[in-house]
Amino acid sequence: MARQLIAGTALCGWLLLGSPAFAAGPTLFDLGQPAPGVYVHAGRQLALDVPGHDDIANIGFIVGSRCVAVIDTGGSVRIGQALRSAVRRATAVPICYVINTHVHVDHVLGNAAFQEERPSFVGNAALAAALKRSRQFFVNEYGADFAQPPSVDQVIGPDRLVEDELTLDLGDRPLLLKAWPKAHTDCDLTVFDARTATLWTGDLLFRERLPALDGSIKGWLSAIDELARLKVKLVVPGHGGVTRNLSAALEPERRYLESVLEGVRRGLSEGKSMQDAMEHVASAEKPHWLLWEGVHQRNVARAYEELEWE
Amino acid sequence: MKTIATIAGRVAAALWIALTICIAVPVQALEDTQQPSSSAWELLRAKYYGDQFMGLVDENYMSLEAPSNTPDPAATPLTLRFADDEHRRIKRVRVFVDNNPSPLVATFDLAGTPVTEIDLRVRIDRFTSVRAIAETADGGLEMRSGWVHASGGCSAPPGAATEGVLGQIRVRPAADAKSLLVSIRHPNSSGFQIDPKTGDPIPAHYISRIRINSGGSALLEAETGISVSENPSLRIALGKALQLPVSVDAVDSETQAHYTATWQGN
Repeated sequence: MARQLIAGTALCGWLLLGSPAFAAGPTLFDLGQPAPGVYVHAGRQLALDVPGHDDIANIGFIVGSRCVAVIDTGGSVRIGQALRSAVRRATAVPICYVINTHVHVDHVLGNAAFQEERPSFVGNAALAAALKRSRQFFVNEYGADFAQPPSVDQVIGPDRLVEDELTLDLGDRPLLLKAWPKAHTDCDLTVFDARTATLWTGDLLFRERLPALDGSIKGWLSAIDELARLKVKLVVPGHGGVTRNLSAALEPERRYLESVLEGVRRGLSEGKSMQDAMEHVASAEKPHWLLWEGVHQRNVARAYEELEWE
Repeated sequence: MKTIATIAGRVAAALWIALTICIAVPVQALEDTQQPSSSAWELLRAKYYGDQFMGLVDENYMSLEAPSNTPDPAATPLTLRFADDEHRRIKRVRVFVDNNPSPLVATFDLAGTPVTEIDLRVRIDRFTSVRAIAETADGGLEMRSGWVHASGGCSAPPGAATEGVLGQIRVRPAADAKSLLVSIRHPNSSGFQIDPKTGDPIPAHYISRIRINSGGSALLEAETGISVSENPSLRIALGKALQLPVSVDAVDSETQAHYTATWQGN
């Protein structure tokens, strides 16, 4: 009981002071291999303002005969370093590519940990501008997740841009990269490993955790339609469990986004305000998702801003 | 032993801070829910209203709704509601965000209009009071206010892509024609944003006035500033159906250009 109390207080102190004094020591960096040469570290389903928030995205790597491609690097330099160590434990093959699926902090802040490996950083053609827009915000809001002292230089953007599609060869192992029109963000990218028919969706697919809209709700629903037609054997979502059935895994997200889209459209035609929509639209979806608070309201607000122009 | 004492001290300090934060705010809120004081507000009040008495208006007569945890500091929705009163005592409403670099968000001229609701989206720079001050026809002043937790709304970078055409206006009446949403394509640059490509400040450039006419007479006139969000959006509701035609005229702060749109009915 007393120990629980102290632990709780320490947690509170960390939250308030952002002190690294209570940061976890060396922990085991979980790594699964759901298909041959496909390594995934599962992110935790936590909010962005609690301890552990730098480890919420699914990140990992794919190993070919000549090259390793890292796919997303986590929400801190520390997580990036842990991933880099995990690569080194798994293989001696060089890291040729670090691929980012989009701009969000939980997927890109670990990039800095890979610079010494001199990889090519690869992303959607719109990622470079998106990172430039966001990097000062990352420093301001997530400074403790950088190598100290934090600086915008640690936010590493792509040197190889994907306008539409690009194939990277890891050595007898082609990766097909596809840039998507505005959907979850304005710079989404998916990675398909042809050898194992594994698709890394980035945050075009959220499972369990509420999807967060930062691009276009109409664009995202179009992307879901397109994704659902793909023939894949394994899916690594941006958040939530690895699965074998892509179209089934997309269904809850599609249902939620359609519910928001229809609710906001109806609200607009009935003359409802944004705040009214934030309170009432798609509220029946709440029991189906983790981390609803705040994110749902923001999604509705974003959808309202997009759909008021229809 | 020393380590334990240090940790205990740190924990105690954290706990003390937590208690101070957790307790101080509610107490202040209880004492001063609708007329919170701040040094920023004292200056604003003196500037705009001198030492004139300011009453607390009944919530049924005017209310201000703001999300305490905003979904987006750069686009926080505010809703003002007014009683559907024949006598229309309120002739003008100013909206302030105390802790913004430019606290006066908008001035709405409501004299003789049947407007019962106004919605707009604003930038919120940091934790602040948001206030609506009504000036009544007999010269009185009345206030409603709310708190918003946010940070960075004034310096938030511009949206990912500037879509549409500068000054394009979408006029969207509700199905029952008792409300109207006016959306204007405009960066409404605050002057506190940085161009991510060049690193240079983006000069202030905003919509300075919006006038909505209905059936040939003024429905609402608003003077607006840099605390209004990108792509300014103004929603008004009435107790009765809008009279046609509805026209909108918005003025650009930089070029003095007039952006206009008219709705003639379906």
